[in-house]
Amino acid sequence: MNDAGRHPCAIEAIDVRKYFDRGIVHALDGVALSVERGEFVAITGPSGSGKSTLLHLLAALDTPTSGTIRVDGEDLDRIKDLNRFRRTHIGLVFQLHNLLPHLDVAKNVQIPMFGTHRSHRERTERADVLLAEVDLEGKGRRLPTELSGGERQRVAIARALANDPSVVLADEPTGSLDSASVERVLGLFRRLRAETGMTLVMVTHDRDVARTADRIVEIRDGRVAADTSSSAA
Amino acid sequence: MSFAGLVVHNVWARKMRTALTAVAIAIGVMTVVTLAVVTHSLRDTAVAVLRTGKADFTVAQKGVSDLLYSSIDQGELARIQAYPEVEHAVGALIATTKLGGNPLFLQIGLPQQDLTPFGVTVIRGVPYAPNATNQIMLGWRAADSLGKNVGDKITIDSNTFTVTGIFSVGQVFGDSGSMLPLTALQANERKPGNVTLAFVQVKKGTNIPAFRKRIERDHPELATVQTQSDFGRVDRNLQLISAADQGATVLALVIGAIIVMNTMLLSFFERTREFGVLRAVGWARTRIIVMVLGEALVISLLGAAAGVGLAFGATRALQQLPDLLGILKPTYTSTEFWRALYVAAGMAFIGGLYPALRAAMLSPLEALRRE
Repeated sequence: MNDAGRHPCAIEAIDVRKYFDRGIVHALDGVALSVERGEFVAITGPSGSGKSTLLHLLAALDTPTSGTIRVDGEDLDRIKDLNRFRRTHIGLVFQLHNLLPHLDVAKNVQIPMFGTHRSHRERTERADVLLAEVDLEGKGRRLPTELSGGERQRVAIARALANDPSVVLADEPTGSLDSASVERVLGLFRRLRAETGMTLVMVTHDRDVARTADRIVEIRDGRVAADTSSSAA
Repeated sequence: MSFAGLVVHNVWARKMRTALTAVAIAIGVMTVVTLAVVTHSLRDTAVAVLRTGKADFTVAQKGVSDLLYSSIDQGELARIQAYPEVEHAVGALIATTKLGGNPLFLQIGLPQQDLTPFGVTVIRGVPYAPNATNQIMLGWRAADSLGKNVGDKITIDSNTFTVTGIFSVGQVFGDSGSMLPLTALQANERKPGNVTLAFVQVKKGTNIPAFRKRIERDHPELATVQTQSDFGRVDRNLQLISAADQGATVLALVIGAIIVMNTMLLSFFERTREFGVLRAVGWARTRIIVMVLGEALVISLLGAAAGVGLAFGATRALQQLPDLLGILKPTYTSTEFWRALYVAAGMAFIGGLYPALRAAMLSPLEALRRE
């Protein structure tokens, strides 16, 4: 990832509100958040606090009721082709990995690369490189059902990195993993971040997992209740 | 993996559903192709009758239910013969009867002096006498299949004839029939003074389309036939068969499209989460539409390929039906296969479009939340 000429802030959320049920439910109520390029931020909070809603808004999977969100300096509200933007700027990792069960691991990694300039061969080669990066070299022909939970999540991380995104957003990536797999996934995040300089925002309810980030942002009742560096938390 | 490979892979991953859908489509395509082949064959057979004579065009009674029911008064034939543009106008009475294994043995009643203008070549023996009532000539194919030769006797509809000659008209349907004096056949068929068709040869330099129009204007009860496409004007049965063929095509298309839609909708409900993932990782709506339509097309083409194969079998089976023996001589042209392809593509597009649009319009978040 080349940061030259890029906006210094990877993510900016300004007074973001998200209301559901005709305004009765205030999932987010004036959130302000700024994530610097290359930063690793954990968003924590109790269930229903709005942390996943915030992540979905940052991922351009949903739109805020009001407020402004900028990713890589671009106001999401002004982007005409959000699919393209998501494909090229954002990598997503879900709690349940969401791999396509009928496709083998390598093909799952290639999926986001359709619609990019990459040729068939380039997609194949890129998938192999990414699988090697997540320590799954040689497992490209396996189906997701043939892998452990931790391995599947690593495939999902490889998929998220397919288009070399500047921002990776992970929603409870360790939520369904055993402790050994949690350690491995977090170690992978740290290593990839160090190697690629990617910006990582991770939603987690696990305080121990959150402490591996540079910064912990705590959401309560749809607002930022605390924003501290990890060492201080 | 290429995008096309992904489409094929998605179809292959659901083998049972693909197979069942393809079978249903195959039955539809089989119906369409078989009907097209049968209609084509019947049309060819009917047109072959018109082309038995060496004519520039043929005149028949307009709008009869079957070509062989056409009836032209010999007085009218004489008026056609009187046009200065006419070189020859040969009036022929045509009848069919069951003979041996042939349910439609052709009998052509023709004046002896018209044999040459009609394009008849006597290859063995001699022509029948002009006013003979018990003489007949057999086409060489008929003679072969009946095991008859010059001098043999043959009984047709309780009338016994002597075979005076074996002829060729250079055309299968005619060479599989017989010829006898016009007056003799008129008497046997109780149609005195009538012919079925007039085979017209025009003088060199005649503007045939203009002349045909003139005949039809002067004789509104008659129609002229030159090409296959003219044929429907004198044979309503064939028109009906053609209409039924087209109706069956539309019906097969609709039923096939519903089957494809059913399959693709089931697939859509099963794969909602998958579509959500694809949208979430940045797939454009159009790519999802193309993928779903592509999958529908692959299934439909598999069905079409099987349907064409089944159509061969079905046509062969129809050929064995006693009522169609000798009439149905299937000719497989590219038209039938193109039609199978169009029908399959139509099924895929019509049946796949709605599920494809639904998949494309899914909100990625809602799709990901679904189990």
